[in-house]
Amino acid sequence: MSIVKTEQLTKVYGKGATAVTALNQLNLNIQPGEFVAVMGPSGCGKSTLLHLVGGLDQPTSGRVLLDGQDMSNLSDDARAELRRRSVGLVFQFFNLIPVLDAVENAALPLVLDGVRQSEAQQKAKDWLTRVGLSDRFSHRPDQLSGGQQQRVALARALVAEPALILADEPTGNLDSRSADEIALLLRQISSEWNRTVLMVTHDPRIAAHASRIVFLKDGTIVDETRLSDGGVSGRNNGQEQLVRAKLEVAS
Amino acid sequence: MSVRNAILGLLANRPRHGYELHDAFEAMVGGEQNWDIKPAQVYTTLSRLEKKGLVIEDGIEQAGGPEKHIYTVTAAGLTELQEWFAQPVLSDRRRDEFFLKLMLSLTIPDADPRRLIYVQRAGLYKELHTLTAQRSQVDPQTELAYLLLMDQAIMHLEADLRWLEMVEARLDEICRQPVPEPSERPRGRPPKGES
Repeated sequence: MSIVKTEQLTKVYGKGATAVTALNQLNLNIQPGEFVAVMGPSGCGKSTLLHLVGGLDQPTSGRVLLDGQDMSNLSDDARAELRRRSVGLVFQFFNLIPVLDAVENAALPLVLDGVRQSEAQQKAKDWLTRVGLSDRFSHRPDQLSGGQQQRVALARALVAEPALILADEPTGNLDSRSADEIALLLRQISSEWNRTVLMVTHDPRIAAHASRIVFLKDGTIVDETRLSDGGVSGRNNGQEQLVRAKLEVAS
Repeated sequence: MSVRNAILGLLANRPRHGYELHDAFEAMVGGEQNWDIKPAQVYTTLSRLEKKGLVIEDGIEQAGGPEKHIYTVTAAGLTELQEWFAQPVLSDRRRDEFFLKLMLSLTIPDADPRRLIYVQRAGLYKELHTLTAQRSQVDPQTELAYLLLMDQAIMHLEADLRWLEMVEARLDEICRQPVPEPSERPRGRPPKGES
């Protein structure tokens, strides 16, 4: 079953002559564990799509199924609940709370959910360690680089163990090296930790890390490209095989 | 030409036999998936270089297996190498196969230029995906040169993708413009008496 399914998803902003169609009957299916990048010119509906899937906004018509649940049938409270449990959000500007340290920021979704402080902090530390920040637990956002702040934001998105991570231009505010690291981490989130990632980006190099790229234009999907999944066929792999083959010949 | 000169350069570094040259070349470019050459290509290149007096046989190594001819570079070969170093490397990006496809797709009824763009973009993204994956395996502490080679390839791909986006954005305009035809020119020899 799809983790995300949109059916004839449509969003119109404004009314009458000034109405703008941001999404036009868009159908998208995302399978569990996929890493999908959404690309397209500005104003093509990328962010609107992300907001609707994340339940941050309501469609004009059509519907979003999250893990089989029709989000439009839910009350506001129930939708917020579903979002909190199934979706982790990552933004361009990190959106961390300045007065909290890394652990407190990452633990926040659990604390808000009523999880015991000690348990929430332990889980936050686990995820911060997994994203490579085990030596930055008590640093506040202003003591961290942009790339590190985004890692904290990723740990916060992951801490409640959601099945789906939504990322809106997650590398848009980073230098190219940190951007690459965040992209690799997003790939790891899907390929190793088996979460689904839906990411909006304008950067081809970041999109190239995904397993599928969806191109949007004027609110509809105009093209899709499936990139080879996971399995890195890197140079080291090739060399390793070569060495092994030579050893076999020699013995 | 570049393989030939690379062989000259590898021999200027130190004398080697054919198989060593083959392995040294592939190691230098970061493996056969980047630039594979056949051992046979090395041997034919060596014999051509030898005929031109740029390399010379410098002994035979025989350790159990078949005998291996060791080559070294001559003074003429070193001069040739210096001349190569003195030239800039320019690639002609105006000879673009995709551009040919695009222009022809505008003139042929069954071809869809938009589809062509999608297919091309998918191909470029797959390549970019492979390269970024490959790049992430490189250790900058020990393989910096190789990392920079990857970066160059990635940057070219990014430029190609950007260009493709531009073409897509302006495709309607392009479709409205006539495909260039050769200008009318009188054929054959101009009639006598005119200048």
